[in-house]
Amino acid sequence: MSTIAQSIGGETITTKLAMKMEDSLHAFAVRAACFIGELDMPYSEEFDGHDFGATHVIAYVGDEPAGTVRVRWFQSFAMPERLAVIQRYRGHGIGQMLLERCRKLADGRGCNMLYVQALPGDVKYWEKQGWRRLVSEEASSGAKRIVAMVKAVDPSKPLPEVEAPESIVLRPEPQLDSSGLPRGSATN
Amino acid sequence: MAVQQAVGIANHPVVTIKLASTSDELMQCYMLRAAVFMGEQHCPYGEEFDGNDYTASHVIMYVDGEPAGSMRLRWFQSFCKFERCVVLRPFRGLGIHHEINAWCKEFARRKGYTKVYLHLQRRHMPMMEKEGFRRVDDRVFNFSDHEYYAVYCELEPVADAVRLDTEPMVMNRPEDRLDALGILEKSAARGASNPHAPRPERRVN
Repeated sequence: MSTIAQSIGGETITTKLAMKMEDSLHAFAVRAACFIGELDMPYSEEFDGHDFGATHVIAYVGDEPAGTVRVRWFQSFAMPERLAVIQRYRGHGIGQMLLERCRKLADGRGCNMLYVQALPGDVKYWEKQGWRRLVSEEASSGAKRIVAMVKAVDPSKPLPEVEAPESIVLRPEPQLDSSGLPRGSATN
Repeated sequence: MAVQQAVGIANHPVVTIKLASTSDELMQCYMLRAAVFMGEQHCPYGEEFDGNDYTASHVIMYVDGEPAGSMRLRWFQSFCKFERCVVLRPFRGLGIHHEINAWCKEFARRKGYTKVYLHLQRRHMPMMEKEGFRRVDDRVFNFSDHEYYAVYCELEPVADAVRLDTEPMVMNRPEDRLDALGILEKSAARGASNPHAPRPERRVN
């Protein structure tokens, strides 16, 4: 596991929750840079309509937004997603720092399970940080298959060997309001 | 000229350009800039979002409904300044930046401008010369890790440009739809009830 840096080039690394409009713009800009700019994701997939029902955590190097993660809350688990760190700040453990902030946040809310959907290529990264597959081995054969992974919020209370709770399935959350599709605004 | 559509060859993408007029559309402009300038060109956030976004007009371009490009316009006394022009990587090579430039030039002409000014990354000079841009002088300056020229282009004045004697209600219309009836003209049908006045002096319609 890489160590978490406290500063980069003399600039202190801090994390905070988005509380104001401008803060959310920092989070969104980091994601746009990484997912749209680097990975060519379409805008409408990146900004999928869940941003206003989620908590955004942002990492700063000095005053500069350097990383972000979005947490969605469900009754039986918290779901960190859209984890992104700006290219030149990678390799300093900022991702870990953001996930640790998510874990503490979940802890404070009395939540005991974190759940992520990982790409097969990233499974090792998550495993190094104490996550495990929700459903053991099998499933993940295809290149773009998503792997469900979980981690206990409190390390002293490991998760029981759960069969996948019914609410945890590898399916995107249904559209909360099908008339409010984010794409709608983009036509015409 | 509100919405410009390029419908040509059967499989040519449909390009739509409009003034960003909702917070969603504004957000799309910002995110495209973050993708290109922060993601691809490694510009720091603080330089990309420089404090002038709330004193500018933003233009958004869609390709087949998907946000694909954007431009920011700032208005000075004698010229309009084009800035932060982006086209997302998957949409490049189609020549659609010419469409966004053309749209913005028309937009500026209608507002009465006869000159466009911009800071051009040196490598893009040949491309913009074709559009009629020339260097202001021979200065080369740099910011955010790129070399720039100051360039400008003359715009042909239009007869229906907005002037002091333009119909007042035309000026109230959304600026990229000056030829279509605006929301405030509909409100004119309510008459003037003068809601600021003391109650006895108000008029009921």
